[in-house]
Amino acid sequence: MTSILEFIARLAVWLLLAPLLPGIINKVKAWVAGRRGPPVLQLYYDLARLWRKGVVLSTLASPGFIAGPAVAWVAVLAAAMLLPLGPLGASLSFRGDVILLIYLLALARFCTAWAALETGSAFEGMGAAREVSYAVLAEAAVITAVLTLSMQSGSLVLSAMLAPSAGTGAVLLAVGLFIVLLAENCRVPFDDPNTHLELTMIHEVMVLDHSGPPFAAVLHGAAMKLLLFSILLVQAVLPVGKLPAAAAAGALVAGVLGVTVAIGFVESLMARAAFRRVPLLLTTAFLLCLFALLVAWKGGAA
Amino acid sequence: MTMDGLMVFAVLVLVAAALSGAWLPRWWLALTLAGTAALLGAAFWTLGGGAEWDWRSGFALGGERLHLRLDAISAWFLALVAVVGGAGAVYAHEYWPDRERPESAGRGRGWWSTIVLCMGLVLLCANGLHFLMAWEAFALSAYFLITLERERSQTRAAGWLYLAASHAGTLGLFAFFSLLAARTGSWELGPMRDHPELAPLFWVALFGFGVKAGMFPLHIWLPSAHANAPSHVSAIMSGVAIKMGLYGLIRFSGWLPVPAGAGWVVLTLGAASAVLGGAFALAQNDLKRLLAYCSVENMGVILIGLGVGLLGAANGDTAWGRVAMAGALLHVWNHGLFKSLLFFGAGSVLHTTGTREMSRMGGLWRTMPWTAGLFAFGSVAISALPPLNGFVSEWLIYLGLFDAAASHAQVAAVIVPATIALGVTGALALAAFAKAAAVVFLGASRTQAAEHAHECGWWMRGPMLGLAAACTFIALGSVAVWPGIQQPLGAWNPAWRGGEAPAPLAMLGAVQAALAALVAGAVVVLWSRSRANGVRRAMTWDCGYAVPTARMQYTGGSFSALAVGWFAWVLQPQRQLRWPRGPFPRRADHVERIPETVLERVIGPVSDVVMVASSWVRQRQQGHLPDYILYLVAGLAAMGALVVFGNM
Repeated sequence: MTSILEFIARLAVWLLLAPLLPGIINKVKAWVAGRRGPPVLQLYYDLARLWRKGVVLSTLASPGFIAGPAVAWVAVLAAAMLLPLGPLGASLSFRGDVILLIYLLALARFCTAWAALETGSAFEGMGAAREVSYAVLAEAAVITAVLTLSMQSGSLVLSAMLAPSAGTGAVLLAVGLFIVLLAENCRVPFDDPNTHLELTMIHEVMVLDHSGPPFAAVLHGAAMKLLLFSILLVQAVLPVGKLPAAAAAGALVAGVLGVTVAIGFVESLMARAAFRRVPLLLTTAFLLCLFALLVAWKGGAA
Repeated sequence: MTMDGLMVFAVLVLVAAALSGAWLPRWWLALTLAGTAALLGAAFWTLGGGAEWDWRSGFALGGERLHLRLDAISAWFLALVAVVGGAGAVYAHEYWPDRERPESAGRGRGWWSTIVLCMGLVLLCANGLHFLMAWEAFALSAYFLITLERERSQTRAAGWLYLAASHAGTLGLFAFFSLLAARTGSWELGPMRDHPELAPLFWVALFGFGVKAGMFPLHIWLPSAHANAPSHVSAIMSGVAIKMGLYGLIRFSGWLPVPAGAGWVVLTLGAASAVLGGAFALAQNDLKRLLAYCSVENMGVILIGLGVGLLGAANGDTAWGRVAMAGALLHVWNHGLFKSLLFFGAGSVLHTTGTREMSRMGGLWRTMPWTAGLFAFGSVAISALPPLNGFVSEWLIYLGLFDAAASHAQVAAVIVPATIALGVTGALALAAFAKAAAVVFLGASRTQAAEHAHECGWWMRGPMLGLAAACTFIALGSVAVWPGIQQPLGAWNPAWRGGEAPAPLAMLGAVQAALAALVAGAVVVLWSRSRANGVRRAMTWDCGYAVPTARMQYTGGSFSALAVGWFAWVLQPQRQLRWPRGPFPRRADHVERIPETVLERVIGPVSDVVMVASSWVRQRQQGHLPDYILYLVAGLAAMGALVVFGNM
């Protein structure tokens, strides 16, 4: 019984709290710019409205156009359910769950790109091409980060890997993962979530033709993915699993808020990078994770 | 006794099929299916824990008595031969029929049964001499299948290249088996792990079998052969025939001792094949070439697993070696199944559009929903995405890699780069298949042919559905497959015999099943919600552009341009660009070609040098008797010098 309640609570965290993050980021951006900004709950209003709206489908689109966002949303939610939540632990834990998590995010990427390419639009094709190409570099960084954590903890189970802090290389890993977070969640300097219309976008341009409930799934999935990466980053760096329950919960919430505010500041203070620079940035993230890996390796050998 | 009967039945039926193929298509189909079913039964019997089958003939062939044995490793590959051999036979019934191909259909049927039979014999032969014979017959029947459409010069060139490369590999195998026979004093094959002096022979085998397996950089023959062969032939070449090279590597690294560096080298070659194969696949704009390069990539993935297995066996039979090797074996099956499925899908497209150029397709899902759906299924499976079977085997390989890295052993120096390479490979494969599936099946039709495409019939759809069902079974029921994997694993390394599954396969299967159910549920909910809210069809919005044309879509070339740029150091793309000039430009175009780098930049120049040297020598061969007498005297003098001074 308690396990069912716990499961529901966990599901609620992911489903209900995730849309808060983009709201907070927007508030931070507005505050830096001296504006009032949209309400923190703006995304909730948007989602509720989109869920009630009708759908305009491209004449070229196959049923995959609706299936794509649905599958991607399920994949992100499933990945989220694998992630331990501080003192709560993970709802499902087994050896190698971390690889499943990475590949579930890849499944989401495949489905998003698929849906984007359904419309035959050059813009969306461009966005999909960029998304899958940059993922090659981001994947290298993520795998390296996971290798670091598994070397550090000697385990391949997420809850055990994320319990201790990342040790000496924590700072390197934090910066590396933060860059990957920005890239994977299409934030500045990789992408500009404020506009759909530029030729320069990645993720935002892929969802140009979505509307109604499928678009709600896309937006909610993106918010969950942002929360997922924030929680992953915080737990990878802080020894959340080693703290007493209340402190761990506090550290987790504070950490996620910190990450969110940091994203807001990055978006306020930086411009989007030129496209030639994106691979450079991602390579930097990869190298940072690689150095963290070397630190973990040497630390383990000593 | 029953096994004897089953084997005799399979061989006789397949021989009868090969002979009847030219004239009796229906009989041929029935006979081939009966033969492959018998082979499959024999393979499953052995994998299910049945005793090893061992048979020696009373007569001698080539001075040696025939010796056939079916152990678990052979059975593992034999099952794949049988499944794809049977599926392809059904597929060919509609894809390459007499009324469309009066000249080559009969030949194709005959050679099809022959290649299935010969691959079966390769897997069964336990005598070096007969192994070589079966190997040569298998290689030749593959050549005749590749060149079925021999009126096309490209096909002849591809067949020629295949034949040359294949024989270069066979040369290595001749060396391997004769050196082996010379050192052991017999052509008999079997476990010889207690002869450490045989270890260096592994390098010869790695070359010989590596050519067949399409391992980078020995893969030069593979893209053109797979692209130009009829699609059912591409399927058996890519799904099964290149696995014979892997069979050789797995078989002889299990039977013979391996040198200390074997794991390191195999792992490095595997990582290189995986990443570069993925990069080349992403760069292709020919659908079947893309699939062919993807085979190089998947061979790399399997070699990574084998490399970790070799390292694990060399480092005290560690658990991480075992799990990675299990992943490699499972990936052999998985790749055989979904690659055949994808080639069947490509054949279905080629059959109706008449082109392999992806930039001439588009929007095919409307007229070919079955093929589109099955190709999408295969794309998800081959990109190793959950909840399908490709993920299960790559997951096992990852588990081995991560555990090896966490062991902090010396091997981590090669394990860590290989793990990162495998991650990058996954992302590249995803990009390549997002491109292939989308450019071919989604969007607007780019040509008339694509617009008027038609769906394939049930003879072609059926095999695809069967292969997809097999993929689904492995994806959800991998725990049921485990006892089968355990047999070849134990045969390869007796220290790994028995024991529990090294990974929570049952858990993964349950999660994958739950995921599949959730996905289906979410699609239904989202679709019905959209329907309830009202669905309106309109032109693609495209930022408000009013008259979009099919030519404005992103092409395959532009889709991969970004990543191709990063890999330009190895892909060496050749670009020809004519800018539009003046106020009324006449013509502007941009042609990009991705050469086969190893073939055109390495093998090509080397063979040019050989040709120049040969023609120089030929100029000295003018038929002047005095010249020849001079050669003779010089040769005798050299030999005399050798005799006189060689003994000193």
